[in-house]
Amino acid sequence: MSITSLFLYVFFGTAICFLYFHLSNLALDFASKKNTIKFSQKSVLRPYIFIAPAVIILVIFILYPVVETLRLSFFNKTGFEFVGIKNYVWAANDPEFKRAILNNLGWLLVVPTLSAFFGLVIAYLADKLWWGTIAKSIIFMPMAISFVGAGVIWKFVYDYRGPGDDQIGFLNAIVVSLGFEPQAWMTIPVWNNLFLMAIMVWIQTGLAMVIFSAALRGIPKEMLEAARIDGASEFKIFTKIIIPYLEKTILVIWTIITILVLKIFDIILAMTNGQWNTEVLANLMYDWMFRGGGDSGRGSLMAIVIMIGVIPIMIWNIRRHKEDEKS
Amino acid sequence: MYKTFKLIFAFLLAVLFLNSSAIAGAYKGPDLSGEKIVISGPWLAPQDEQFRKVIKAFTDATGATVEYGGSDSFEQQIIIDVKAGSPPNLAIFPQPGLAANVAALGGLTPLGNDMKNWVLENYAAGQSWVDLGTYPDKNGNKDFFGFFYRVNVKSLVWYSPDNFSDNGYKVPKTMEDLISLTEKMAADGNTPWCIGLGSGDATGWPATDWMEDIMLRTHKPAVYDMWVTNEMPFNDKRVIEAMDFFGSFAKNDKYVAGGSKAVATTDFRDSPKGLFSSPPKCMMHRQASFIPAFFPDGVKAGEDYDFFYFPSYSTKDLGNPVLGGGTLFAITKDSKATREFLNYLGHPQSNEIWMAIEGSGFLNPNKLIDLSKHSSDTFRGLNQILLNATTFRFDGSDLMPGAIGAGSFWTGMVDYTSGQSSKEVADKIQASWDAIK
Repeated sequence: MSITSLFLYVFFGTAICFLYFHLSNLALDFASKKNTIKFSQKSVLRPYIFIAPAVIILVIFILYPVVETLRLSFFNKTGFEFVGIKNYVWAANDPEFKRAILNNLGWLLVVPTLSAFFGLVIAYLADKLWWGTIAKSIIFMPMAISFVGAGVIWKFVYDYRGPGDDQIGFLNAIVVSLGFEPQAWMTIPVWNNLFLMAIMVWIQTGLAMVIFSAALRGIPKEMLEAARIDGASEFKIFTKIIIPYLEKTILVIWTIITILVLKIFDIILAMTNGQWNTEVLANLMYDWMFRGGGDSGRGSLMAIVIMIGVIPIMIWNIRRHKEDEKS
Repeated sequence: MYKTFKLIFAFLLAVLFLNSSAIAGAYKGPDLSGEKIVISGPWLAPQDEQFRKVIKAFTDATGATVEYGGSDSFEQQIIIDVKAGSPPNLAIFPQPGLAANVAALGGLTPLGNDMKNWVLENYAAGQSWVDLGTYPDKNGNKDFFGFFYRVNVKSLVWYSPDNFSDNGYKVPKTMEDLISLTEKMAADGNTPWCIGLGSGDATGWPATDWMEDIMLRTHKPAVYDMWVTNEMPFNDKRVIEAMDFFGSFAKNDKYVAGGSKAVATTDFRDSPKGLFSSPPKCMMHRQASFIPAFFPDGVKAGEDYDFFYFPSYSTKDLGNPVLGGGTLFAITKDSKATREFLNYLGHPQSNEIWMAIEGSGFLNPNKLIDLSKHSSDTFRGLNQILLNATTFRFDGSDLMPGAIGAGSFWTGMVDYTSGQSSKEVADKIQASWDAIK
């Protein structure tokens, strides 16, 4: 596409939007002037006309896919034959699916907690050091890397070569230099999940840290000084003043990372593809949806399960946000 | 004197004539000027350029026009085209399963008995090729639809001739020899095999090739066919035995480079590099004909590496089975010129043009082709394996339903090499097969 046609599209797009609002507004005024509609009706109608395009787009791109996914989850793999709750029954008895749910729960517990914890500690400590800013920018850097890219980097960290070979994996190089046997980290169940979570923590700590540093700046200096004058230790200040003060920020970060973790997919696909008991819901969904001809029924079912997992957190988040606005 | 001269002259003439007919001569087709053939298939660069060279000799000889269009979404495209009633004349299918799907839609025209008999007679393991090209049509009647052209071989073991001669090892001719050679290598302190199953989200597939090759060497082809269609369950004793046989190599720390733990974690592209390290990490690597592309730069075929046929048991009367893949041509819209083009693909010239292209790796089971036309000894040797085959079987995991052959079979083999028992894995794969029925 040439630059000129790009500009043309932008121009016509904007023009059509402008015309829609302008003309519908004119039509409304004209109608009320001619008394086809009453003045009160006019003010009721106007907002609906204005938000109509946004609502239509939301319905097409968000509501319709959700409904369609729900519908497909009750159909067979080609999506033509209604099978009732057969897919759900299958999922309830499928060991791989149960494994994925368990692993997702593990991810939900570990990753947001550790990311928030490290983020807060680093943000707090870095504020006290002259080289803190440099340290912070380095810790923030992984945020700029895609999850797949991070997976590739960490593949080199966890890489395994047979004993006696040169270990190109960072972790095994350390282990071997200390005189131990190299380990195929990705194949040791339970631990391998933690090694994978470490990647996510590595990425998300930077985000938590940046938000916490900003929030830390917001704590009134006078309060901290008063505490110091009263003889509070640094640890006491941290636990009794800073953490309560940052409560809301902690919750925000925790929800952001939780929603991200529910959808965790790229890291698993790049590192293990769910092998060795590391399966998670999103990867399982991808597998059923697209692998070997695909099964849109079971794939959709898993999409629905993931959505059900995200919804409570979303609702809670929105509600909290509303309460904040009230107070 | 004159009489003798005449005799000699006649003799010379006869020799000349015989000779020229022995070279078979260039392809001479009927005059098809004004006719047009449309072909679509999965070949993209560089194969499409190479195929167009094959096409050119046909158009030069007959005057017909041939249009080839390649697409990387051919598999979806052909179904859409057939359903919409606007198919090409010929479709090139990358695997029989897809061709069978189109045949079941009523989209393919039978090739007829002449073509079938021609394949039986002129293709090595002809019956296998006919069977692979035979599918039920719309009414469920089986017919011969697919003509194979351009095939690859998987039953290969790669090795370094230097490493073999340094240690006094000989290329094994039978499976018994291969097993004792493996034992001998381990006893000498060498590692016999490099096995790597890693392949991103396709991890595990190299082990399925092992399984297929082993099945073909321990049981009749009919058993293999039953296994691939699940007429024989995946957790049948015979399949479990084959898995354990693979395990006797892959799960033995002394037999495999890096120990059994390394099997599932090593990328299949890195695995063969162990043949060329110093000291070598392994002596042998079982992989398909495409693998030299992943060998280190600068290693030479025939000098630094060579291959042998993954041998069959001398005690079992199963002949020389060959595992592989290949593309097949099928008529999606019949015409006189289309039929003639298929005849041309059977003619040695259409094979030899492609064979002669440097590094093209074109192999075909056509017994009429002149192997000297191959661009290198490696390909000549590979083609020889194909011609020596008594049975050819298509990559079984490609024939199984996708959820198995590109899903649970792959992951199951990874679980197996990571420590699960063959019974556990076979049960799990069968359960996943039951789940999609």
